[in-house]
Amino acid sequence: MNMSNNFTSWGRPFTDAKMDMYGGDVTQRYQLGAQQMTVPDDKFSEGVQKTQQPIVTGTSVIGLKFKDGIMLAADNLASYGSLARFKDIQRLYGVGSNTIIGAAGDMSDFQHVQHQLDTLITDEYCHDDGHSLGPAQIYEYMSTLMYHRRSQLNPLWNAFVVGGVDPKSGESTLAYVDLLGTTYSAPTIGTGYASMIAIPLLRRLVEDRQEPLNKEDALDIIKTCMKVLFYRDARSLNKFQVATITKEGSEISQSMSVDTEWGFAEGIRGYGGQTQ
Amino acid sequence: MSSIGTGYDLSASTYSPDGRIFQIEYANKAVENAGTVIGIRTKDGVILAAQKLLDSKLLVSGTAKRILTADMHIGMASAGLRADGKHLQTRAREECKNYRDNYMSPIPLKHLSDRLGSYLNAYTLYSSVRPFGISTVISSCDKNGPQLYAIEPSGLYWGYQATAIGKGKQLAQTELEKLNFDELSMRQAVFEAARIIHLVHDPTKDKGFELEISWIGKDSQYKHVHVPAQLYDEANELGKTQAESGRMQE
Amino acid sequence: MSFSPYTQNGGTILAIAGKDFCVVAGDTRQSEGFSIQSRYETKVWRLNEKATIAANGFAADCKQLVKRVKWRLETYKHAHNREMPLKSIARMVQTMLYGKRFFPFYSYVIIGGIDDDGTGAVYGFDPVGSYERETCRAAGAAQSLLQPFLDNQIYFRNQQPADPTNPPIPGTLPLDNVLAIVTDSFTGATERHIEVGDALEMYVVTNSNCDLGALQQITQSATKTDLEQVAREEAEFNGPKSCKTFKLLRQLKKD
Repeated sequence: MNMSNNFTSWGRPFTDAKMDMYGGDVTQRYQLGAQQMTVPDDKFSEGVQKTQQPIVTGTSVIGLKFKDGIMLAADNLASYGSLARFKDIQRLYGVGSNTIIGAAGDMSDFQHVQHQLDTLITDEYCHDDGHSLGPAQIYEYMSTLMYHRRSQLNPLWNAFVVGGVDPKSGESTLAYVDLLGTTYSAPTIGTGYASMIAIPLLRRLVEDRQEPLNKEDALDIIKTCMKVLFYRDARSLNKFQVATITKEGSEISQSMSVDTEWGFAEGIRGYGGQTQ
Repeated sequence: MSSIGTGYDLSASTYSPDGRIFQIEYANKAVENAGTVIGIRTKDGVILAAQKLLDSKLLVSGTAKRILTADMHIGMASAGLRADGKHLQTRAREECKNYRDNYMSPIPLKHLSDRLGSYLNAYTLYSSVRPFGISTVISSCDKNGPQLYAIEPSGLYWGYQATAIGKGKQLAQTELEKLNFDELSMRQAVFEAARIIHLVHDPTKDKGFELEISWIGKDSQYKHVHVPAQLYDEANELGKTQAESGRMQE
Repeated sequence: MSFSPYTQNGGTILAIAGKDFCVVAGDTRQSEGFSIQSRYETKVWRLNEKATIAANGFAADCKQLVKRVKWRLETYKHAHNREMPLKSIARMVQTMLYGKRFFPFYSYVIIGGIDDDGTGAVYGFDPVGSYERETCRAAGAAQSLLQPFLDNQIYFRNQQPADPTNPPIPGTLPLDNVLAIVTDSFTGATERHIEVGDALEMYVVTNSNCDLGALQQITQSATKTDLEQVAREEAEFNGPKSCKTFKLLRQLKKD
């Protein structure tokens, strides 16, 4: 019996997850990642370190498309393992005036990315040619950056949600970029825990909705999701910010919280911890 | 030019017997022939204005700007060799970026003028290079308040309440000295700058020009930008009529 | 535990060549593990009037590969004042894939289009550049479901020909048959494979002699968004006799 800790292989023939149609393990057959072994060793190679795991981390980011634009949310917690280390961290960040990104994963890598984006925006501003970078351009830049770093086997340990509205065309962008350089866009996006807990809610409330979604209702949906995430995600905090981007511009809210109800917890038995 | 033919003017690394470096003085000549640039520091922000002399009637208006941006909060305008001015912008951009990389905050203008001053000065020390043929006015407005500096080809830099460089320097400075800087608003300074640029221009003698005005301060959300089109048109028109009537009276 | 630079993003792709056309298709689901990331993320891209590419596997590698291919085609156009021929694109892609032999693009690539003499062509690749010209090819998550079906329907394997003296020849099926086979392939794969579904994009690359009756029929019966001519402006520029590429969109089950 092969009990994998990789949940995606549960319920499948045990090698199926990695196997191609010929029954071979593709990662072995083509020696995927072989570069790790072929990097030449020198006297200092042990002193050269690349990020192998995140240290201070942020949990999920969620985002949705509504009638006039994009709404994102992320809580204010930066954890150090299971320690709730920093409780007033902003994980939403404005890039130019029409784009906001939300970051999950390593917070120092996130700060590095913020700095890179600042430099990009300032360089662009100094050209003074009447052009500015919209959300689609920021998305492309971040995809290239993240894929480049993963290809050096030195990833930026993050998952980003990029949201924005192009001020000229009015077209809205909601997209995802992560440490592997994986990218996609969708009407609703959630990273990490939110991809399992919030996405089903968001898909029902946003994508299956018949009438257009206005800003007020969008905020209600965001709050519902943040509440459920707070109930279920042990690395989350009931203190979060919401970013709204429309054709008119973007704003990041003050921190807010939702009312919670823990009365039911009293009656729960049988999940471990209790002795009777 | 008694120095010509003496041999002491061929290199920036050679003094003349009376202690001068002629290459720097020649660089200043390049500045004196260029279109006028003025800077005015008001209590709320800083204005730059430039007279872009048009070498050809075929140039597209609004292109090849003389007032450049080095960072969100820094404007610069050079008088002299245009290519040297563009090069200094590139250097200024790097200095601003470098400061942000190291300190995570926008560079204060006194630091930038010092760094650019040192950069220009390095080009006065070696026989293999020539000094920059530009003077540059730089403007900024941040938590240190409005600031205005001008850098000379020698690398010397000074802070100013208001300054002028280029062809119309003398007359412009006389006009600037008349202003009451305690009262002057950014908007008023735009009009004064436009008036002075038109005033120092002699339409019978000089080439045609295009006026450029930028500002940074309260009225521009503390970003360096060219002034809004409507304000520009107003200031440009009024400046032109004021200068004309001024000349009539003479 | 060291960083793995790869993941699998599911989905499946397929191409079938005809006498004077080629169909290149892919579903639009992108997933990782049991999560559907997006229901509409394309894996098929039109390269030029005679070539369309599909790439499947690790989405980031696929997108990077296609970006590079497009860039090489652009520079080729500027250097030679013509489009790169299909067989040359195929050879170039093998070089690009093998160029990363020891840190491969985890991409299964299929190129479909019209070759130099005007017939439909399909080129299938493995991730490190091994390639061959074929009549049809399926790749990706549901390759093992689709390829046997295509072997039977396109190559006529394990079929008794009605007339043994005149057996059917692979690569000669008419367009409407091929479109039906592609659609059925994907509805079938959607039923039996969790990583396949949401929507189906079919690119139909045609040469100037191709009978477009099947497409016209679809245009009349379908809603406007179901059919979109990708190369309209280019076709008009090149005159009515040039190759045209059409894009058909079909919805698949989303569960």
